[in-house]
Amino acid sequence: MNNPSVYIKSATQISIQQPLCESWMQEPIIHEVPYVRCSDPSFRDWLSPMESRRMGNILRRAVVTASEAMRRSGVSLPDAIVTGTGLGCIDHTEAFLRQLYEEGEEMPRPTSFMQSTHNTISSLIAIRHHCHGYNATYSHKHLSFDSALLDAFIQLRLGDIQTALVTGNDEMPPTSFNILQRAGYVGQPGQVPASEASVAMMLTTDPDGSLCEIEDIRILTLPAALPSFSEPLDAILMGLNGHAPHDEVYRALQQQLPAAPLLRYKHLFGECLSASALAIYAAAHILAAGTIPAHMSKSVRRHTPPLEGQGEVAPVRRLLVVHHSDGHQISLITLRR
Amino acid sequence: MKESIVITGSGIVSSIGLDKQETLSSLLAGKSGVSPVRYLKTAHREFPVGEVPLSDEEMKSRLGINAEPTTRTVLMGMLALDEALGEARLLGTNGRPAILVSGTTVGGMDKSEQFFSDYLQNDSRNDYIKIHDCGTTTDMIASRFGIFSMATTVSTACSSAANALILGANLIRSGLTDIAVVGGTECITKFHLNGFHSLMILDREPCRPFDATRAGLNLGEGAAWIVLETERSALQRGVPILARLSGYGNACDAFHQTASSEDGEGAFLAMDKALRMASLQPSDIDYVNAHGTGTPNNDASESQALRRLFGSSLPPVSSTKGMTGHTTSASGAVESVISLLALRHRFIPANVGWHTPMDNGITPVCHVMPDTNLRHVMCNSFGFGGNDSSLIISLYQQHHE
Repeated sequence: MNNPSVYIKSATQISIQQPLCESWMQEPIIHEVPYVRCSDPSFRDWLSPMESRRMGNILRRAVVTASEAMRRSGVSLPDAIVTGTGLGCIDHTEAFLRQLYEEGEEMPRPTSFMQSTHNTISSLIAIRHHCHGYNATYSHKHLSFDSALLDAFIQLRLGDIQTALVTGNDEMPPTSFNILQRAGYVGQPGQVPASEASVAMMLTTDPDGSLCEIEDIRILTLPAALPSFSEPLDAILMGLNGHAPHDEVYRALQQQLPAAPLLRYKHLFGECLSASALAIYAAAHILAAGTIPAHMSKSVRRHTPPLEGQGEVAPVRRLLVVHHSDGHQISLITLRR
Repeated sequence: MKESIVITGSGIVSSIGLDKQETLSSLLAGKSGVSPVRYLKTAHREFPVGEVPLSDEEMKSRLGINAEPTTRTVLMGMLALDEALGEARLLGTNGRPAILVSGTTVGGMDKSEQFFSDYLQNDSRNDYIKIHDCGTTTDMIASRFGIFSMATTVSTACSSAANALILGANLIRSGLTDIAVVGGTECITKFHLNGFHSLMILDREPCRPFDATRAGLNLGEGAAWIVLETERSALQRGVPILARLSGYGNACDAFHQTASSEDGEGAFLAMDKALRMASLQPSDIDYVNAHGTGTPNNDASESQALRRLFGSSLPPVSSTKGMTGHTTSASGAVESVISLLALRHRFIPANVGWHTPMDNGITPVCHVMPDTNLRHVMCNSFGFGGNDSSLIISLYQQHHE
């Protein structure tokens, strides 16, 4: 088959909204604090207490969302597992660094180091599911998940593979929040909460039972001429996070894009390096549902409780997801039903 | 593979040379760059390492920059990229004709491990916090040149740079770009020196890949890049074509986070995929640049995989890590450039350090073999977590078919 179409068959998350479900669409939880950790499911349903403890947060969330995405898609052995993570297993990394700092180089203990490399996530999923297929990890700041998605997308389009599990994972332990706040990335005035997330989605070339189709993915270094959009867009989903200099980049991009209603999602999920994974996850479910929850419209004031009722009943069939990384590079991902 | 992906440039910086010329001299002489630690401020003086023989200040001086904050990983990446882009005639080019894909895992850890307490307690090193992550490393390297329409970063431990080549090639095949500059960069840090030590896989002696007495690896550092391009684009630009990337494969061992399976399943699958993509038989491979770290586990596992794949037609094999040390995330590119040098200068590099055959192991080439015609060279990179990749670099002949 020449250039097969690519579909998102299933997509799930653990985030600061209710885990492993889409209740955020009708019953969003609004967080009005600068820092929020994930609402975790009961990991006991998937992991033994020892496994759970040993893995730590990012790994067990990754394992569970991956399992769920596989189960819901009916694909138990994907041809590829591709992961994006901005800072990797930062908790384990910090633990090992702290050990070196506090105890010196005398007797380093291996456990934290073994689980600290960025590719621990992707390989752990492969180990647990006995998956020998293509396996890769991308760590490119806010575009880590986008890079992973692009990799899987082009391989599916080339016909190299038929299925791919794509995941995005980042964690925000307290030390990370403190350090990143110091660097100005989170905890800024007006900004949505600093958060964390694990997202997993199954991509296939089979349209049956899918949530949506991925039409195109572009990653571009700015300044750049944006591609033209031949068909109309029903909405544009942007990573507005309430911090003025950051949101200014989206305003400038908006000028170069076709006119379409703007949607936001970080008011729900907060800010983390895997936020774009949440954007694609949310977009896929919005397209599957066919309607846009009212609280996602940019015109609704930030931190306003959701409107009554089902939200706008507008047939939404084609969405553009726009994401920028420090105003330097952007991703443009077009999804459709 | 339909459209030919050719190589039009390369650059390299490691403990055996600051460019291709020096690297070639070292390879032909079988000269190792592994020696007692000189630049890294570590208490572990007992582990020999393959450091790039320049301080950070000397690197900046060579680059003609004085920028802080920066990191050693960035500086090495820039040095090697200067060379690769120069050869490919992409320096100072108009527009943004290329995509950059880099492999790294430590990123700015050389600075973060020095300033960690400041990160926790005060604002004096906030600029270094911003350059800790892998992606920023790549962006900083890219920004020196201004020719990239996109940049991204692979982080699959010791196969990172090899996987960067694979993504670059796939981006070309998918029509998203004509030119992909691919490779990786990694400096030695206390973090991973102590990490590897905690796993008891470092040797206090110079490493001996595939040797019966091998006791572990020596860490190295370096950066290397390869310029991949469509044949059409290279011919159009009139830039010399150096070789062809004829095949590649990525597979997961799916066995253990820090050890390879006994039968080398991931390695076998990766090499097999590469051969199939290149439409080659095992007997077509003239030389294998092995991953060959010198750890008991890797060399046993890789030997098994090689035997399974090649059977009785095992070509000459050598690991060059006895000379460069294990350059971790950069190794896939460092060793691809070494493979490219071998192909173009018609020699097989030596597996320095080898003396005694190991049980069920392969017997590597232990002296440089000059005047050897090579048509197809296989280059292996196997990372923690079972991220196994294999690349095949072949002679380029116009109108090949």
